[in-house]
Amino acid sequence: MSRATRRTSKNRRAVQGSKTALYWMSAPALALYAFLFLFPVLSNFRYALMKWDGIDEGEFVGLANFKKLATDDDLATKVLGNNIEFMFWVVIFQTVLALLFATYLVKNTRASLFFRTLFFFPTILSSVSVAMIWLFLYDPNYGAINSTLVRLGLDSFALNWLGSETSALYAIIFVQVWFHTGQMMVIYIAGLQQIPAELYEAANVDGASRWQQFKSVTWPMALPTSAVVVAYTTIQSFRAFDLVYATTQGGPNNTTSILTTMIFQTAFNEFRFGYAASQSILMIIMIFLITGLQRRILRTRY
Amino acid sequence: MKTKGSKSFSMSRLGAVAAVAFALVATTVPSAFSAGEVFGRKCTTEGVSTGTSSTSLVCKENSAGKLTWQRVRLGSGSGAPVAALRALPGTIEFHHWRGAEDGKIFDEIIALFEARNPGAKVKQVTMPSGDYTNLAFSRIRSNPKAAVFATFRGSQFAQFAKGDMMTDLKNERFTRQNVIATGLTAGQYEGKQLGIPLHYLFNNPVYNTEIFAKEKWTPPTNFTGLLAWCKAAKTAGYTPLAWSGGFRPNAGQMLNSMLMNSAPDYATLLQRIEDIDTGKADLQTAWFKDMANRYKKMADANCFPDNATGVTDAAALNLFATGKSPVLPTGSFSMGSIKVLNPSMAGKMQLFSLITTDEKPQYVGIQNNTFILSVNKNSSARDQKIARAFISFLMTGEIASIYANGTSQHVNVLNVTYTNQDLINTSIWQSKKTLLAPRFNWLNQGVRDLMEDALIAIVGGKPIDATLEDYSKQIKQKLG
Repeated sequence: MSRATRRTSKNRRAVQGSKTALYWMSAPALALYAFLFLFPVLSNFRYALMKWDGIDEGEFVGLANFKKLATDDDLATKVLGNNIEFMFWVVIFQTVLALLFATYLVKNTRASLFFRTLFFFPTILSSVSVAMIWLFLYDPNYGAINSTLVRLGLDSFALNWLGSETSALYAIIFVQVWFHTGQMMVIYIAGLQQIPAELYEAANVDGASRWQQFKSVTWPMALPTSAVVVAYTTIQSFRAFDLVYATTQGGPNNTTSILTTMIFQTAFNEFRFGYAASQSILMIIMIFLITGLQRRILRTRY
Repeated sequence: MKTKGSKSFSMSRLGAVAAVAFALVATTVPSAFSAGEVFGRKCTTEGVSTGTSSTSLVCKENSAGKLTWQRVRLGSGSGAPVAALRALPGTIEFHHWRGAEDGKIFDEIIALFEARNPGAKVKQVTMPSGDYTNLAFSRIRSNPKAAVFATFRGSQFAQFAKGDMMTDLKNERFTRQNVIATGLTAGQYEGKQLGIPLHYLFNNPVYNTEIFAKEKWTPPTNFTGLLAWCKAAKTAGYTPLAWSGGFRPNAGQMLNSMLMNSAPDYATLLQRIEDIDTGKADLQTAWFKDMANRYKKMADANCFPDNATGVTDAAALNLFATGKSPVLPTGSFSMGSIKVLNPSMAGKMQLFSLITTDEKPQYVGIQNNTFILSVNKNSSARDQKIARAFISFLMTGEIASIYANGTSQHVNVLNVTYTNQDLINTSIWQSKKTLLAPRFNWLNQGVRDLMEDALIAIVGGKPIDATLEDYSKQIKQKLG
């Protein structure tokens, strides 16, 4: 065996050795991942095939839970519609407002820093605190919103915000947007600060207006950030459990129920854990489909 | 010569005689006190009592037809109250939902327990009631350290019992001898005593006696009177009932009163509830529809706040505590929270009989035995012993008095002395004809929630027929 061949095989053994070492080194993390994530997810799939009250032994029912979910559960259909509507408006308003604020506050001036802090402030509050604040503001008889509207002579705009089937969902959408826009604004600011200043200088030289600069420079360059913001906001919208639960608990007449509150009710209030597992799989599929669709749209268009 | 057997027989006979003598529930023994001279005020309201011990007093009519203070004696049915058990050293958790209302008093009680049982430690773990309803089962089941826990009467207690999570306390002396016998049934399941209800509360509306006196109102005694009173109160500028239609758990408390005279007898009422709970009947039955109609009539008479379906629990409490509303339709358990919001309400609250029939009512109020204390079967033997000792401690007259007076809750325990004026004022309800809160006979929480949501929607202005049809369909799908 030549010296070169011996060296190659020695190198290969060293590489293989280091690969094995890498596997061993990642094993604890993988084990934790499997235990904390894979195992619960796979268990959820198993429970979805069972009729189980969380107490007695479950009974295997095959796909019956999914069949009921698809054909004989008006509430699930209604809740899915609520969640899609909730997500749609939250994604639109939150993304647009976050980008707008970021565009104006991207420079590190004192005023910008002040307003960034102001807009980011709601993000540091807990969901329950936010819910309590807005419950007081939205109170139909003594809340600040209706009191102000009445003082301004706009009585007809004073609504039973969280108690009416027509306004409750939109009232919560508003709170969700207020709560999280600052967080998305910070992500956008980080993205916008990466855009080379030369591009704006060149656009200025070409006589581009602010809108043209936004359209041709800012937006295309901010697109990767937008993909992150939109995907994150979508997932956030599907998981807005605590805000909804602390404000309306899904009422009135389930008009503010979203998938997470429905799953919680089914599992922990009605003790239909098997059925709740099938509902949670529906939620996983919805998030998967919608984020996939969003990625596809953003990639195709730009 | 006496045999061992005859000795034990005569001992047991003696015990039985003592037990029977003690087993008189709410029986009174004439006292030597002269009428009208106790507590610096006259005995004017029959039924008012100062506690559950043999030295407590109750305002009662004597043989001459005159109201006099007499001694009250309540019985457990099985002998004289016993002292608390001794606890072993160790630490356990006590899970319950009344942290905001009772947390401080429990801290004091736990400090006493720990001082008298060196080495024993009890840690309170609390959640708001809504979260507790949903999460307590899974949290306690996976936590053997949660050796003592409380459950709500009804679906939650049944769920824990079905999950085989409670030990049987039937043979404990403190169960047999320290607790008012009639209060024990709420903690029984399949012949076992799986929990002991600490609370003896009234799920009747609470009313502001000062406003009623000022406006010269008396609580209405029938449904027509109720509707007329609502209109009068509204005209006078009040929100008649501070009903929290935006918060189902408390909005639903009024259902108890709505149900209490809705059926010809108790058995029929329970059967009707069970039929809806199990899907044998739906919300469109004549009986339920009639009740829904009464809600509608009350809404039309302006009994409820404006925009009732958006009124939160906090807003309703504030309406009552600030005097904007004279009646809070929740229950005696709210009196503590009201006094936190407005301490000047102390002594100015009484329970309101919400009668929804024009015929002679069978019941005038609602009573409930809840906050059922149990020992976790999954806890270690040592922790179970500490838990038993802690429950026995709570079931002594001395400690139950501290709890009752500190929290404005009547309790199911003997030898309690009520010094809290609101408890003294409302103790009259212990002698009235009250119904065990029927709302908690719905054992399927999902069905109960939808049923209550339907009634809330009707108060909010939804048409009765369409609403009951819609919610019946939802219940059917849920049970299917």
